[in-house]
Amino acid sequence: MISRKLQFIVAALVLAILAMGFYLVHLKRKAELIGAGPAPEALIAPVSGPAQELTLYLANDGDDSLRPITISSALPSDPGERGRLALHTLIARYLQKDSTHPLGTGADVHDVYLLDPASAVVNLNAAFAETHRSGIEIEQLTIFSMVRTLKAQLPQLTRVRFLVEGKTRDTLAGHVDLSGWLDVGLVVEASQ
Amino acid sequence: MLRARFVVGCRRIKSRVFSRDPMLKDYFISVRVTLLLLFLLAAGFATEARKITVYAPQVSYQVDILVRDGADYVGLTDLLEPLGRLESRPEGKKLILIFNGAAAEFQDGRRQYRTRSNTRPELLANFLLVDGRGYIPVNSIAQLLPRITDQPAEFHAGPRRLFVGSTQYKYSAELRHGPSRLVLSFPAPVNPSTLIERDRVRLLFRREPVVGNGADTIAYNDQFLRSTNFAETPGGAEFVANLSQPATVSIGDGGRTVTITATAPPVAAPQPAAPSAAESQTHPAVTRVRPFVILDAAHGGSETGAVFSPELMEKTVNLALARRLQKELEARGIPVVLTRIADNMLTWDQRAVSANTSHAVLYVALHSSSSGHGVRVYTSMIPSPQPGQTNHSFLPWELAQSPFLQQSGVAASALAAECMASGLPVRSSSAPLRPLNSVTLAAVAIEVAPLGSSADELNTAQYQRKVAAAIASGIAALRGKLEGGQ
Repeated sequence: MISRKLQFIVAALVLAILAMGFYLVHLKRKAELIGAGPAPEALIAPVSGPAQELTLYLANDGDDSLRPITISSALPSDPGERGRLALHTLIARYLQKDSTHPLGTGADVHDVYLLDPASAVVNLNAAFAETHRSGIEIEQLTIFSMVRTLKAQLPQLTRVRFLVEGKTRDTLAGHVDLSGWLDVGLVVEASQ
Repeated sequence: MLRARFVVGCRRIKSRVFSRDPMLKDYFISVRVTLLLLFLLAAGFATEARKITVYAPQVSYQVDILVRDGADYVGLTDLLEPLGRLESRPEGKKLILIFNGAAAEFQDGRRQYRTRSNTRPELLANFLLVDGRGYIPVNSIAQLLPRITDQPAEFHAGPRRLFVGSTQYKYSAELRHGPSRLVLSFPAPVNPSTLIERDRVRLLFRREPVVGNGADTIAYNDQFLRSTNFAETPGGAEFVANLSQPATVSIGDGGRTVTITATAPPVAAPQPAAPSAAESQTHPAVTRVRPFVILDAAHGGSETGAVFSPELMEKTVNLALARRLQKELEARGIPVVLTRIADNMLTWDQRAVSANTSHAVLYVALHSSSSGHGVRVYTSMIPSPQPGQTNHSFLPWELAQSPFLQQSGVAASALAAECMASGLPVRSSSAPLRPLNSVTLAAVAIEVAPLGSSADELNTAQYQRKVAAAIASGIAALRGKLEGGQ
């Protein structure tokens, strides 16, 4: 004979398991809804001031091309912050569902540091590299579009280096070399 | 007294320094730990390097040399166990040893020992008994072993090689002509590692008990053979033939003869012929033909590259493509080598070194991708060479490709043109890719994408044949252009 107390405890546990299951499904749906939207743009701190032109070099996987588009946006005066905002905006475009060059969910840029007006260090987040598709052209389009977008904001830029979570990484996703400085002039020449 | 004052003084200075900056204490501790680890590491390497190689009729093995009381010692059990039935029993300061039923008795700290014939010979240094294990001085091995094993023993102290029984292989060398060749004969099969250089051939015997035949250096002063030299090395032996002409090496008579035969200089030939099937079958490892192209199937092993589907990975497609291209090139009479022929991982530096030491004229890295369409040809994205910079200039490893950029550009153009002529969509550009930057010959990377939208097309024989044929035609068109520039 099972005691009444034990029956009550088992019933309570079963109820708790079911409730947690429903809550998990709810959280999953919520996460999917958040992932579908243009999240990175929402993460950028608001910038006040007059609107300026921001040129983004958008990659297109269909014809392996980079196309410049110009949008109007309030830009910070600090060059590093301006570079970061430009890359945030570029990545936000790539995260949209109809992107011509989709990036993985959660891809983002932590910071853009300027060592001097000619040298920029871009610190990517782990998701950017971990979720990036593998292939020479695919990786090259991502890197070249970021370098050219930065160059459009920072005309004195001559070299760029990419880090992932503050650390040097050999390649973006197995192909394009990220271990050293990229010559902006060579990038522009190669992507003409 | 003076020493005590010195120690106290040192302690005071130490405590004052540490009280001012506690970080210093941690620093000194970490320095000490590092030094200790380095010392242990160095000691480990030193111990590992010192071994005796034992060649016995049925077995060859190595025994560690240990330093005890400033002299080299070797464990008696380690030495005798592989040679027969061994039982050892420590009794106080004595060690009773029974080898193949016959007893011997050793005593810790004494040179004299007792053997089966009840004689009392002496070791050249004291016998040691540590933790129940017996140790004998290395320089006493040759006199001790015959008394215990009833077999002759010969110990070569310099190379630390011990021959038990009549195991030595004494070789004979005979110079013959028509064609000029040096024939080395051995009493049993050998399988040496062969290193063929421009003016000499080196045979390395790592497992065989090969010993000299009396004279270490023999001068021949022949048109083909200048001299030979034989030397024993720790754990092996080396035979060197100093030549006046290039040569090949072949092994015959079931491994009992090694023949070094003169050949015409192959490098000067404008179109080196591929080895015949018979030649390849007989001596695949030692026949050398200068390759025109080195194919590098990217990725491999745990480094899969792009994953097209759970069943199809980039590394697999790249290797299949490389093999197909190899066949296409060989059908056109173009000598080719591959950096990998199986699913193994190579580092970028290993790939670059393979290319740079292959004596090939063109390096082609093969990649595949599910994105885009057709073929993309890439050259290295590094700055053009500085004025006055030549192929022989001293350059950083990551810029070694710089003097070869122009040739790489020529190669990329020719390959793109042939692919286009074959109806494949082509795009060419430069890219920041490794190991292209470190390759010291014309170097390109090719990424093959499907014509349609499915990555499965990459793995079809039809598409691979089409791409391989186009690339092979491009490479064939390059032969005159690149070889002339070398």
